Amino acid sequence: MSNFLQFTVFGIMLGAGYAIAATGLVVTYTTSGVFNFAQGAVGMIAAFGYWELVSAHHVPVLAALVIVLILGASIAGAFVERVLMRRLHGASAERPVMVTLGLMVILTGMATILWSPTTQRTVEPMISGQFRLVGINIQYQYVLIIAVAAAVAFGLRALFYSTRTGYALRAVVDDPELLGMAGVSPNRMSQYGWILGFMMAALSGVLLAPTQTTGISIEAMTLLVVSGYAAAIVGRLKNIPLTFAAAIAIGLAENYVLNYVEPHLSSALQTDVTSALPMVFLFAALVTLPSVRLRAVGRLTSMRAPRVAGGRESLIAGGVFLAVAVFVAVAFADTNVKGTTLLTLGGMVMTLGIVGLSLVLLTGYSGQVSLCQFSFMGIGAFVMGKVAGGGSLLGLLAATAICAGVGALIALPTIRLTDLYLALATFAFADAVATGFFADGRIYGSGGLSIGRIVLPGLSLGSDRAEFLLVTVFFVLSAWLVLAIRRSLFGRRLVAVNDSPAAYATVGLDIGFTKVAVFAIAAAMAGLAGALYGTVQQIVGTTDFDIFPGIIFVLFVTIWSIRTVSGAFLAALTYVALNQIWPSSIGIFAGLGVILIGRAANGILGIEALHFRLPWVKAPAGPPDALAMNAFSGAASGNEGLSAAG
Amino acid sequence: MSEQTTATADGGATTTALPPSVVVRGVRASYGRIEVLHGVDLEVPAGSVFALLGPNGAGKSTLLKVLSGRMRVTAGEVQVGGVPIGRTPCEKLARDGICAVPEGRGIFPNLTVRENLRIWTYRGGISMKDVEEQTYETFPVLKERRRQMAGTMSGGEQQMLALSRALVTRPRVLYLDELSMGLAPLIVAELYDLVAKLARQGMTIVLVEQFVTTALAVADQAAIMVHGRIEQQGTPAEMGDAALSIYLAH
Amino acid sequence: MPPAEATATDVLTVEGVAVRFGGVAALSDANLRVRAGSVTGLIGPNGAGKTTLFNVISGLQTPDRGTVLLNDTDITHMRPHRRARLGLARTFQRLELFGTLSAGENVQVGLESSVKWWQWRHVKRSFPWVKRGAAGADAAGDGPTGPGSIAVATADRLLEGVGLGGLGAEQASAMPTGLARMVELARALAMAPKVLLLDEPGSGLDDAESQTLGELLTTLAKGGMGVLLVEHDMELVMRICDYIYVLDFGDVIASGTPEEIRKDPMVQAAYLGTVTESEAESVAETFDVPATPEAGPDAVQGSDERDGEAAQA
Repeated sequence: MSNFLQFTVFGIMLGAGYAIAATGLVVTYTTSGVFNFAQGAVGMIAAFGYWELVSAHHVPVLAALVIVLILGASIAGAFVERVLMRRLHGASAERPVMVTLGLMVILTGMATILWSPTTQRTVEPMISGQFRLVGINIQYQYVLIIAVAAAVAFGLRALFYSTRTGYALRAVVDDPELLGMAGVSPNRMSQYGWILGFMMAALSGVLLAPTQTTGISIEAMTLLVVSGYAAAIVGRLKNIPLTFAAAIAIGLAENYVLNYVEPHLSSALQTDVTSALPMVFLFAALVTLPSVRLRAVGRLTSMRAPRVAGGRESLIAGGVFLAVAVFVAVAFADTNVKGTTLLTLGGMVMTLGIVGLSLVLLTGYSGQVSLCQFSFMGIGAFVMGKVAGGGSLLGLLAATAICAGVGALIALPTIRLTDLYLALATFAFADAVATGFFADGRIYGSGGLSIGRIVLPGLSLGSDRAEFLLVTVFFVLSAWLVLAIRRSLFGRRLVAVNDSPAAYATVGLDIGFTKVAVFAIAAAMAGLAGALYGTVQQIVGTTDFDIFPGIIFVLFVTIWSIRTVSGAFLAALTYVALNQIWPSSIGIFAGLGVILIGRAANGILGIEALHFRLPWVKAPAGPPDALAMNAFSGAASGNEGLSAAG
Repeated sequence: MSEQTTATADGGATTTALPPSVVVRGVRASYGRIEVLHGVDLEVPAGSVFALLGPNGAGKSTLLKVLSGRMRVTAGEVQVGGVPIGRTPCEKLARDGICAVPEGRGIFPNLTVRENLRIWTYRGGISMKDVEEQTYETFPVLKERRRQMAGTMSGGEQQMLALSRALVTRPRVLYLDELSMGLAPLIVAELYDLVAKLARQGMTIVLVEQFVTTALAVADQAAIMVHGRIEQQGTPAEMGDAALSIYLAH
Repeated sequence: MPPAEATATDVLTVEGVAVRFGGVAALSDANLRVRAGSVTGLIGPNGAGKTTLFNVISGLQTPDRGTVLLNDTDITHMRPHRRARLGLARTFQRLELFGTLSAGENVQVGLESSVKWWQWRHVKRSFPWVKRGAAGADAAGDGPTGPGSIAVATADRLLEGVGLGGLGAEQASAMPTGLARMVELARALAMAPKVLLLDEPGSGLDDAESQTLGELLTTLAKGGMGVLLVEHDMELVMRICDYIYVLDFGDVIASGTPEEIRKDPMVQAAYLGTVTESEAESVAETFDVPATPEAGPDAVQGSDERDGEAAQA
């Protein structure tokens, strides 16, 4: 019985910590319409900053708290709103997702550089000591956390529902223009929202840090509050009391599972179920969201769509690409870059390029944000390694097919989710798979799963050079496939379903079917890429397909251009190169890049000034017949524009 | 800003500031690459009511957006009381006494009536007590609904709430965009009575209204906009037929 | 030119539809019928509920009450894409184009909508009413562009039919409103619909384009389609509609032929918001009727001639 009470107290404390972060998420979302993926990362930086001040520089606790929670959080929050978020006004819905993800990887990247992961850092409780109550030990820190969480929840609710500033904060996302007309600066309200959100994040990070008995770790702290994300979703991103209650419930559930369920399972599963639990909760919360009705919004993408290469052009380009690859294979067969052969790196580029192509198809054409393509890579590699002893053609086919199936399975419950919620769902899935599946010792084994090179009848493919050329061929084939899809009926539908779901339905097409189909195809491509990746590396381990590298890769594809084949390739190239030469910087480059891109939907490659024409490509159709245009030119001057309020 | 001296009931005189005039010169504005205002010239005399008429898509709402600082001009200028509004942000203009009631209910649907009224006090110089008193006196139904979410009220009630901002913040300049949209004639009449009363209290008013006759009944001057330009301008008597035929026959 | 009245059927029937948004009744009791081979108009002041009614008919909005029948099939609770497959097409007040695609591709999506993508080579369609004299689909390879794709050729023909010949390669989001509306119309026509709902197609069109649109719609109706048109352009409505419904505050306050509607005092009041006598006089001048409509049918009869002239103005 006393055990139960002990677990309960701990669970409530944990939940309270989540509640603080979750409330911050709700505040930011309510005032700016942006879900701050970096909420956990901000908490992590606050925790580390606090440790730095108190343990390394012996700053008094109170002063350190003020510096981190009040000064630091305010400045950071205001900065983020002013520099990152304000430029995104009018951007498409997935942009803020990308930017906050970018912020997350910048913060984790910076933290890794500033605080090397090898040192253990423990944070002392703000209030040390414990007391006994009804036969159990309760640490003062726990009480502090619970008290603060309750104060935060009540305080913010009071702010939002009893004060004029609170009303303005709620109003700003409803109708910022009207708020301006009433004499309140909407920008200032957004700033407050972000500052409050950051303060909550910092608060939860600093308060929960002492509960990490083995010391604070960057990744753990960043993902610690993901349970808070689930609570915020249950609260529909607007109901603070419900969020609070959900967070407590989740904290309790996690702790009960850890103490009651896991000891029985740990013999069966060589992984801790508890770490995957937050993501499972998140996923469950998302798929049980009430469905959103299709609405006609008259939104037209104002960006020029990238030109799609014609059949002949892509064949030629592919041929040239292969020729260059052959040249590289021959000329640089023995070059090494920081310990790995260039050809191996080249092979990684090609296989990651295929993952990039899957993103072009899924996110670039069809607008569905997916943060779990790396997970499909991992599953593909796993299948490849297990089927027929690794390195077989059958394994390749099995990897592709199984990933297609898993992709469809994941897509089915998430059909109704769009933009942010789909990103969250794929985020949840990716991390759940990474912690619950890949981390299981039996999946990849302690030394990693050995896969070996592909064995094809009649061909000797064991050498690096042969392997490189093989995967290059696969890349080119995938690129041709993706372009062919875009030119086909299915491709038109993918683009159409993203441009206007309402029109799509009224033209007689089933949105759900299209979404599941493209998800499955993209998953299959990523699975194929993973299997091939396994043959390049020959051994894959538990950390190859983690969630952070996956996110960083998506950001790189977004930066270059998520709507073109070249973008996918360049992203893979950048990723592999940086990872090899300067790994600790990769998150920072990815984050900065996506922030600089801002609203530009077509990435770096979309910048008009950089466009050039290949000599054998016909120029796109010139301005339409002048006569035809004149007949209708009167219309252009007489309309209110596409986005007129009336 | 000039002043005027008026006689008061007890035989004395008071001096009140005259509301400003609104002058528009050569204004052009665009949504992205599409130009919707092609050089608009307009003069609204101080303290008068000016009606903007015209078919859908003519640019009337856009012009009001420009006048209230919600949209930047690509050419030309807007002067209020002789002072160009330039790039002044919308919220600063609001605090200076320009009140714009946009098309489609200028209220916050997810806030209660009282919360909406509280936001109106941001204008400065008015207390919540006064705001509530004045609003409930003019619109008793809002008192009943004061704790109700504004978005769940009927269209007429929502528009009353929107108009309460014009009532309590005592703006010098008032822009009304399609006040009557979707409302029953009786409520429209009630609202426009209030508009007339506000005009008499000393306010420069520019209104866009699809019900031509309602607009002309309350206006001192009117103009017809077609395809982003002013086609005709004059007094209601001069405009009557022209307005009706252009509006209805397109 | 009356449509084939003898065998006219109601392709679309709306009965007793009601929709509430929060405290506001957007539609309280909407009833209308659209006959095959006719152009039916739906007019009313802003905020009357016209687009909501369209959303109910096309499936983007579930009504609280009432039924929608498409050729005797109850589609009230059917999902939008299924209704479309049964022959219901619509355009949107605020233009729902597939902006990233070209104009031709937009139309193609409509053409290919009934195709399972592994069978698309077997698609053959005939569009007898799109182009004057066109007699069904030609064999593949007969298009001005492309190496023989049936869909591309037909898309181009459709675009020509709405006056956008040669503009198939233009990206839809880059097109001015007038042209974009025609692309949306062509896409709707590509589904060979039995009922075509048009939400303010004339918005943003100048006189010449409006004329062309009117002719096109009349031709479509002659071919057997039922066209339901929401429009503010009264001139267009009066010119091409065979029957008109007037919606105000979610109710149909009047229905009849253009002439009847023109004379209906309730319609006049709804549109002009007339309340006072002097206002009624100005209204009377415009509508060419006596200032006191309650005088009865006698007062109206003598002005038939002038009404006839006005109808052709």
